[in-house]
Amino acid sequence: MALRMWASSTANALKISCASKAHLSPAFSLSRCFSTVLDGLKYANSHEWVKHEGSVATIGITDHAQDHLGEVVFVDLPEPGGSVSQGKGFGAVESVKATSDVNSPISGEVVEVNSKLTEAPGLINSSPYEDGWIIKVKPSSPSELESLMGPKEYTKFCEEEDASH
Amino acid sequence: MRGPRNLEVWKMGVVNYLDALKLQEKLVSDRKICKIPDTLLSLQHPPTYTLGKRRTDHNLLIPVSELKQMGAELHYTQRGGDITFHGPRQAILYPVISLREIGLGARNYVEKLELTMIELASLYGVKACAGQKGETGVWVGDRKIGAIGVRISYGVTSHGLAFNIDPDLKYFKHIVPCGIGDKEVTSLRRETGAVLPAEEVIHEQLISCFARLFGYSSITWEESPLILPDNEEIDNTHPRVRNQPRRLLDSFASISANLNKLSRAIQDPKKAVEASLRKAPPSASNPTQNK
Repeated sequence: MALRMWASSTANALKISCASKAHLSPAFSLSRCFSTVLDGLKYANSHEWVKHEGSVATIGITDHAQDHLGEVVFVDLPEPGGSVSQGKGFGAVESVKATSDVNSPISGEVVEVNSKLTEAPGLINSSPYEDGWIIKVKPSSPSELESLMGPKEYTKFCEEEDASH
Repeated sequence: MRGPRNLEVWKMGVVNYLDALKLQEKLVSDRKICKIPDTLLSLQHPPTYTLGKRRTDHNLLIPVSELKQMGAELHYTQRGGDITFHGPRQAILYPVISLREIGLGARNYVEKLELTMIELASLYGVKACAGQKGETGVWVGDRKIGAIGVRISYGVTSHGLAFNIDPDLKYFKHIVPCGIGDKEVTSLRRETGAVLPAEEVIHEQLISCFARLFGYSSITWEESPLILPDNEEIDNTHPRVRNQPRRLLDSFASISANLNKLSRAIQDPKKAVEASLRKAPPSASNPTQNK
């Protein structure tokens, strides 16, 4: 960890980009609310993201979602081995006395859940795309990803939704 | 820009907790598929303790058997928030509204629910404010006058807020209210010097504050006393057909003007009562009375 931090600060000094997950980079900033939308992910209109890597897809909620929720104090996680369906709820997060359902962008089998969220639910706020991931799923129909939004589309979607306020 | 929005308000009187929960589940499904507009339930519960999704039963200080002996019920729910008490003379609002249509997230929604109660309190000269971080709700000093616990599913809300008009505060002694140990619970009766009007008036003021803060341009009132035996499913027929209540469409401007009038009249509590009573729509009654 220390070596990575040193490398990172050295690289910054040399103006070289060396993000540990090189394929994740901010694609757009939402000018209205400064939320980050990342390249390389797909997005659902209920503000969850999915990253498909080989046979496993990681799912979480977006920066826009965590900002609109407020501080997350509790995460209701499903059991590994259970199944999820596209568009259906699989868990919930609690913030400011509000329980908000989290929906799965794709269908499949839950292979891993982020148990760190039980002790540290705030990871969803501080690191929604990385340490705050919620579940990992083995997709049952990879073609479902086609129906999700890309970063540009999702950014526009957020802007339109916020504008209706 | 968004067009004018109407809020449909159901004035329900005293409703059993589970009946209200079943009704909300049906309304949430209907709202998700846009079968109904934004709907607000205005009601009270018989003595009822409820827990949120985190099931913090350690905050119930007496055994469940004792609770039943005093005639209170206990229910576990999917809402956010900790343990609380609902009872007569506590005004409850359960908004079933689409947050997505108005671009609101949970945080902003809850803030507006807090403001709704803060505004109502201010009509009676009571200076209330939102809680500190982690203490969502409405406070007068360090005494809690209003509680919030909400569920959001597919962007549609259920559960909501509870404002203490004049409930029996002794019931709160049997819990650690909202999980916050060192703070008192209070009521409008305790905090204001003003003479309180009939409860129905205060309920309508609360509804008007809600409607204004959430930007509704008109309100449709439905008076539908929903009485269901325990084993009966919610009738798919809309209550307005079953009970034939009158519908009153109030333009927002008239409600807003009346609220302002009340707020100015608060200096003279007697005048405030009269202004409120004139504004209140008459309750559903025998039509021949008006002849």
